[in-house]
Amino acid sequence: MAAAAASAPQQLSDEELFSQLRRYGLSPGPVTESTRPVYLKKLKKLREEEQQQHRSGGRGTKTRNSNNNNTAAVGMGVRPVSGDLSYLRTPGGLGRVSASGPETPLGGPGGASATLTAGSKVLLGFSSDESDVEASPRDQAGGGGGRKDRAPLQYRGLKPPAAPLAASEVTNSNSAERRKPHSWWGARRPAAPELQSPSGRDGAADDEEQEGEDGEDRDPEAEEPLWSGRTVNGSRLLPYSCRENYSDSEEEEDDDVASSRQVLKDDTLSRHRPRRGHSKPLSPLPAKSAVGRLETSVQGGGGIAMNDRAAAAGSLDRSRNLEESAAAAEQGGGCDPLDSSPIPRYRVNAKKLTPLLPPPLADMDSTLDSSTGSLLKTNNHIGGGAFGVDSPRIFPNSLPPSAAVAASSSLRINHSNHTGSNHTYLKNTYNKPKLSEPEEELLQQFKREEVSPTGGFSAHYLSMFLLTAACLFFLILGLTYLGMRGTGVSEDGGLGIKNPFDETFGNIQESEKNLMMNTLYKLHDRLAQLAGDHECGSSSQRTLSVQEAAAYLKDLGPEYEDIFNISLQWIFENGKDVGIRCVGYGPEEELTDIVDVQFLQSTRPQMSFWCRFRRAFVTVTHRLLLLCLGVVMVCVVLRYMKYRWTKEEEETRQMYDMVVKIIDVLRSHNEACQENKDLQPYMPIPHVRDSLIQPHDRKKMKKVWDRAVDFLAANESRVRTETRRIGGADFLVWRWIQPSASCDKILVIPSKVWQGQAFHLDRRNSPPNSLTPCLKIRNMFDPVMEIGDQWHLAIQEAILEKCSDNDGIVHIAVDKNSREGCVYVKCLSPEYAGKAFKALHGSWFDGKLVTVKYLRLDRYHHRFPQALNCNTPLKPSNKHMNSMSHLRLRTGLANSQGGS
Amino acid sequence: MLNPQKKSPFVAESRGQVPVGHLSSLGEVLGKKLEERGFDKAYVVLGQFLVLKKDEDLFREWLKDTCGANAKQSRDCFGCLREWCDAFL
Repeated sequence: MAAAAASAPQQLSDEELFSQLRRYGLSPGPVTESTRPVYLKKLKKLREEEQQQHRSGGRGTKTRNSNNNNTAAVGMGVRPVSGDLSYLRTPGGLGRVSASGPETPLGGPGGASATLTAGSKVLLGFSSDESDVEASPRDQAGGGGGRKDRAPLQYRGLKPPAAPLAASEVTNSNSAERRKPHSWWGARRPAAPELQSPSGRDGAADDEEQEGEDGEDRDPEAEEPLWSGRTVNGSRLLPYSCRENYSDSEEEEDDDVASSRQVLKDDTLSRHRPRRGHSKPLSPLPAKSAVGRLETSVQGGGGIAMNDRAAAAGSLDRSRNLEESAAAAEQGGGCDPLDSSPIPRYRVNAKKLTPLLPPPLADMDSTLDSSTGSLLKTNNHIGGGAFGVDSPRIFPNSLPPSAAVAASSSLRINHSNHTGSNHTYLKNTYNKPKLSEPEEELLQQFKREEVSPTGGFSAHYLSMFLLTAACLFFLILGLTYLGMRGTGVSEDGGLGIKNPFDETFGNIQESEKNLMMNTLYKLHDRLAQLAGDHECGSSSQRTLSVQEAAAYLKDLGPEYEDIFNISLQWIFENGKDVGIRCVGYGPEEELTDIVDVQFLQSTRPQMSFWCRFRRAFVTVTHRLLLLCLGVVMVCVVLRYMKYRWTKEEEETRQMYDMVVKIIDVLRSHNEACQENKDLQPYMPIPHVRDSLIQPHDRKKMKKVWDRAVDFLAANESRVRTETRRIGGADFLVWRWIQPSASCDKILVIPSKVWQGQAFHLDRRNSPPNSLTPCLKIRNMFDPVMEIGDQWHLAIQEAILEKCSDNDGIVHIAVDKNSREGCVYVKCLSPEYAGKAFKALHGSWFDGKLVTVKYLRLDRYHHRFPQALNCNTPLKPSNKHMNSMSHLRLRTGLANSQGGS
Repeated sequence: MLNPQKKSPFVAESRGQVPVGHLSSLGEVLGKKLEERGFDKAYVVLGQFLVLKKDEDLFREWLKDTCGANAKQSRDCFGCLREWCDAFL
């Protein structure tokens, strides 16, 4: 065969060339005059390889083909080689590549081409952004899924089921989307086709097939992905969609899903699936019901659990999915998640898609787009994918009302929703550890809006602090109290007296000694009491005069009086502190003799308990107060320093900005001079200043300007400061002295500017009507790359400037932490939102493709309560329209292009 | 090439207006050659890419035959077109 044909390749007609290539397993495109030489070369190569193989006995050609296919998103798979997998892939690929008509009625033709084109249509779609609000994302998803399934069915040579199998068709499309290595499903696959043949089990067959496909799709994740393209796609989509989910979960509608799920559940139950009994768990429940169902399913417990989980999760909106997946994860310990999860989903999708058949084509397209497009995108073009998903999603919303007719219809709606969640679900089910991630993400999403975490944290610490402070306070109080107490003890006085007594009064007799001691005690007590009273404020006299002391003693007893003088003598001569002090008239008077002693004073006042306590308390409080004051002072000083430092930073930044601007001006002036020899090569400094700073800013920026001038003089080597005489007056001028020949033209890439529209907004990639007044704009920035504190203002400005003709924007919020660069916008009414959508969706901003989708109003308010009362339209802060500068430079081309 | 990241004038121009010489990975010389063969606009090259079913080898081979692109140029061009298709188709 090869010999005859190889002899004269040039004489091959196009058809012959085509068939030859086909024989090698290639799926060549049209052989035209431009492609002919390429194909001829290819044929030659194939023949050579074949000959080599014959010689060597190996067959390695296929790999090359596979490689080719893998590189393309769908590519031409080597079908025969890959066996099961290939046929699945190819239909999708064919569908995509041969996207003939833009619209393919879902229900009608059901032919392979229709399916394929439908599938391709879906591929055209957008990434599975499950987002939001819109109406039946599920419908779309369902539709997309169904269509996909059709493709593989056909490929397998099975006649596409008639109307009853429409659902399966839908499902098939779906599964086609998710085609992943079916190795795992290889076993099931044979069963699926068999099941399909019997017409009696139309529904079941479809489900089976879908399940098979689902499983296969699922497999890739778990098992070794054979198709890097697909897997990459899926994995990329999953995290993306997961993230999407979480951000959108707030936006999703629960009600419809719940109701549709109920119906779906019934429907699925009616279809008996030997293997997928669990698929029934489409009922909107949390994992529990799913779990129950899991157990009933025929398949392995784990697998079933996964299925149920998948089903349940799929049908539920994202938030629920998380719960379910979490719950399911707990149950599905050893089960093979891959298998189960996709299956129920597809079934759901299939159902969802069926009712979509009647709806207008456009809707179908969008549906398909959403479900398939997202998955098929192997390359990470999130921008395109994002918008792709968004738009289709918007369509479904409009569909459900019309579609919700029968149980099956609602089921289908459910399916589409399910499909939407499929992506996230895929992620959930595939990796157990990842199950907690989405949940965490979701929780974090909510947490972000709550303050409680930090509040709780500080509350806890606050209570601890208070407790310790109270304990400390009482401790100090007690110690101080003890300290005070010591003074009131009279034993000390007695002790004090005893010792010196022995030394200095040896000559005194015993009886006199005792008497004297008693006298002194009494005196001491009296004085202490007096002093205590004085200290506590009840008495104004602290000292007792000698006469009064003598009188007091006399009252106590006659013997005391005699001994009084001796006691005084003893006290006087005793240098130690015995509790009684003798003072004269003046405080500093030196007492030489007892006759000089006029007053007696106690050095150890005796105070009541209450008085002591009070004094201790007062002391402690005073000390604490001083401490607090000190701390506050320190805080104030620190704050002030921080404020100053920030201010310094700000000024320095402004200064550098100014320097950069000056350099730009000088450089551009220099370049202008190169071309136009009439201009002077230098610029007066004041002129530069006046051109850069607005008149009303000049006074404010004077300091900044001066610093910039100094900086340039000191640090910029390309600029020279000279003095020139211009028009009779002397000016300090700057001259740019870098020769332009040596410097390469550095393109100043302005950041944060709008750069044009990537595509025209038409029915296919944007919703026909605006649905809500709230928008979520994605891909406006990269939070990792942003520096400084004020960049979000620039983003807001840019959005306002882009929508400057739309005075219906009342609230903008830049989510600084979002990885996707999300900005939330609320408008006065859906019409304004639609206008803003048209202006923003699909535009290039700062090198990124911006996508927009609608959000539910209630969720928006939930997230941004401050937007509830915003009614005043926002306007750009200044008339410069800096972010539109690039667009302005373009001629009318940009304007006509950008607007839509 | 059809890549706004390069900040090329293509960004704001309609697809129809981009001359093939603007395909950044190809450059002027190759662009001229392609024009001579009838591929005067970028979209025509895109069309060829699609007609070849987005197959890498075939497309690169074709590019080499048509305008003499080297391996790097053809690889870049192919990558660019493929990404663009993935994003917008």
